[in-house]
Amino acid sequence: MPSYTLTINATKRTVSADSDTPLLWILRDNLGLTGTKYGCGKGICGTCTVHYNGNAVRSCALPITSVLEGNIVTIEGLSEKENHSVQQAWMELDVPQCGYCQSGQIMAAVDLLSKNENPTDKDINAAMQGMLCRCGTYSRIRKAIHLAANKRNK
Amino acid sequence: MKSTLDRRTFVKLTASASGALIAGVYLQSCGSEMVPATIHEFSPLIKIDTDGWVTLIAKNPEIGQGIKTALPMIMAEELGADWDKVKVVQGDFDEAYEEQWAGGSYAIVLNWDLMRTAAAKVRHVLLQAASKKMSKKVSELSTIKGKVLHSKSGEALPFETLLLEASKLPLPETVEFKPTDSFEIVGKNTPQVDLGQLVNGETKFSIDVKLPGMVYATVLKNPVFEGGVGEYDDTEARMVNGVIDIVELDNTAYGGRLLGPNSPNFVNGIAVLANSTWSAFKGAGKLDVVWDTSGSRKENTDGIFERFNLQLTSTAIERKDGDIHRARKTEASNFEAVYQVPFLAHIPMEPMNCTVDFRADLCEVWAPTQNPKALQEGLIKLFGLKPEQIKIHLPRVGGAFGRRYYVDYAMDTAILSKKIGKPVKLTWTREEDIQHDWYRPASIQKMVASLDESGMVTGWQHILANASRKTCLGREGRPAGTEIDEYEFPAGFVPDLQFEYGHVMSDVPLGQWRAVGLSATVFAIHSFLSELAILNKMDPIDYFLKFLGPARMVPVVGDDEFDAGRLIEVVQKVRHNSNWDIPLPKGKGRGFAATKLSGSFVAEVVTVSVDENENVTILRVDAVVDCGIVVNLSGAKAQVEGGILEGLSAALYGEVTVKNGAAEQSNFHDYRWIRMDEAPEIHVEFIANNLPPRGLGEPPLPPAAPALANAIFAASGKRIRKLPILSTK
Ligand code: FES
Ligand code: FES
Repeated sequence: MPSYTLTINATKRTVSADSDTPLLWILRDNLGLTGTKYGCGKGICGTCTVHYNGNAVRSCALPITSVLEGNIVTIEGLSEKENHSVQQAWMELDVPQCGYCQSGQIMAAVDLLSKNENPTDKDINAAMQGMLCRCGTYSRIRKAIHLAANKRNK
Repeated sequence: MKSTLDRRTFVKLTASASGALIAGVYLQSCGSEMVPATIHEFSPLIKIDTDGWVTLIAKNPEIGQGIKTALPMIMAEELGADWDKVKVVQGDFDEAYEEQWAGGSYAIVLNWDLMRTAAAKVRHVLLQAASKKMSKKVSELSTIKGKVLHSKSGEALPFETLLLEASKLPLPETVEFKPTDSFEIVGKNTPQVDLGQLVNGETKFSIDVKLPGMVYATVLKNPVFEGGVGEYDDTEARMVNGVIDIVELDNTAYGGRLLGPNSPNFVNGIAVLANSTWSAFKGAGKLDVVWDTSGSRKENTDGIFERFNLQLTSTAIERKDGDIHRARKTEASNFEAVYQVPFLAHIPMEPMNCTVDFRADLCEVWAPTQNPKALQEGLIKLFGLKPEQIKIHLPRVGGAFGRRYYVDYAMDTAILSKKIGKPVKLTWTREEDIQHDWYRPASIQKMVASLDESGMVTGWQHILANASRKTCLGREGRPAGTEIDEYEFPAGFVPDLQFEYGHVMSDVPLGQWRAVGLSATVFAIHSFLSELAILNKMDPIDYFLKFLGPARMVPVVGDDEFDAGRLIEVVQKVRHNSNWDIPLPKGKGRGFAATKLSGSFVAEVVTVSVDENENVTILRVDAVVDCGIVVNLSGAKAQVEGGILEGLSAALYGEVTVKNGAAEQSNFHDYRWIRMDEAPEIHVEFIANNLPPRGLGEPPLPPAAPALANAIFAASGKRIRKLPILSTK
């Protein structure tokens, strides 16, 4: 198996894997970064969302060979001690139910707020529409995104 | 200390060790010195250490319903603990804990007294110890915020100063509970215990388990229900990098249906073992299989519904009050309508998975399960193990909704681990999950009402035909269960009433789905009631209130009574909260429905708009809930929000169709679910009272579908009698 070097959460990591292995499984099985979840494997649900060069991407749909150049950030690398404003807002509003989709939701919300400081409900709908939450935490997610925006704009 | 202390032993741990022990929950500040903390175990559920920390075991499976927070809150309340000095630790499966399962909205109902009793016993010995130390009467002492307080003098002793004395005292047999009006913790808006780890990715779900030497696996199962493995060529699969072995999972070889009529069975399939999940998935994709479908009925959805329809006239009577035929002849008019609901999948966000380390001395399991007892029973039956040879860990579960009541995926994992002599983590693909679910039974329901001069119901007939989840796989030779129970609403409210059930055999695997039977029946009942109201040119809520009659206890079955007053109250409140009586412009409408389930009463109003192209937008949902005492307001609201969204999602999109004996849907592109842009704001109000808490996971779900259908009618004049509303089939 070939070996590859990736930059994940500001650290260089070398793994050996088949060239078609999706980043999702590299993170989870090779590197033990299990905060990123498998939900559908087909780019439909968003539970596997991470950041690549500052953009939210679906790690289940990205073979390892497509993410060699840039910076990958996972939920584990988002902050020290969950003190990112989005994580703080999530905790304040007790957003998760089962919690399984939430890493992906948070990564998508961070991406949205990095591009739009003060998103409207409409902006949130558009940005988060691909993020499935089976338990139905959408209204708390929406409130938490507004709350995080307020925290940052203060 | 000797272990003569009635299950209470002293465990010595260093602060760092105890910190590590509960690191998943709370980090103890232990300063620079490692001061040894002594933990006193007062009961299997309650420990207190000499630093004043109370450790509470959360014994039930946490599936997203918030039970890991709620049960400890009840104990902390009764103990008089300081919630800020409580550590919560998830318990493994242990018979000593009792009622350790998640389902039927029962966890709070069944554990309310259990949790209070466990904690009140410990409070008792703390009070006794304090009484001696303070020279005060026990009757003058109480516990509050981790201290025993003598309120007259204001004197207080923290728990940690009483541990040595208290742990020498025997726990009492009987206890008195704290008065509910003195509650300090129960009823508060309490953020769940694991929040930090849930937002930083640290939480370990079952799918995240990794053991040394572990092998990864997946299964490819015959998509045709009741099919066998047949012939397969695994040459290419074995050539995939990382694939270790390919193993056939043959249902019949392992004893077939395992746990009785309402139990999991094994679906035949082929397992791929590999050194990573991806290799296993890839290997499974390369299997070349000619499935054996000779045992299958090769059903199609249309044919199944046709058989349900025919069965409407060949039924067993489940309940008969008075005589519906008399009413049918004498009343001013009769009205009937037929409703249809589809098979539904559960699609919990965490796919089916399990990890088993099957060693000679111990079978150790990490399972996302609602039902650890069934898992244990399965292992006992399958391998002849003794209970003490089985250890079941209960990691947090990424959603369940009834699917994980069944333990098929865990049995498969145990078989594989035993066979290869290594720990195995089995992960199903989403496709396997949707194609091998235990689906919510589809049904056809015929409703007939006889109406008097004033339009009110005097005769009520509800006929339901389907394949029952109670016959499991619905093969011949099994008793047909019923999907309409004798206590179904409106039993007791109508003098001439009849419930009938027509059972059809089917291969489709059926099971519990959130709210179970009521997920189907309440749709028919409340759509029908609104139709009757409109037929009589009455407001649907006015009509329903008239239908209920005065507030009173209505006898249902045996000594089971229906408190009509509690239902009336939630209906009136939701009418007010939703501005029901303020007219809406054209194209908008409100719909109403209500239910009693698991002892709780729920009324809902859905507001929608429908445009010229029949596009439906759900604008808002109002819900009023009477579930007795609310344990955790934040968690309770989440359950109501989640239950309603699930009911709406299923009503809009949820549908599994069957073709040639297999499910046609396979992933989230064709099994659609509500998304952020479609999710309405949900306004929830709880009735404040001091009645014992009742179930909350399921009750909010059933009214959502009929309230939505009724709202669409109000907005557009289009009556929905068949779900899902946006069927693509
Ligand atoms: S797992 Fe990647 S989008 Fe669903
Ligand atoms: S919290 Fe369970 S899937 Fe979103």
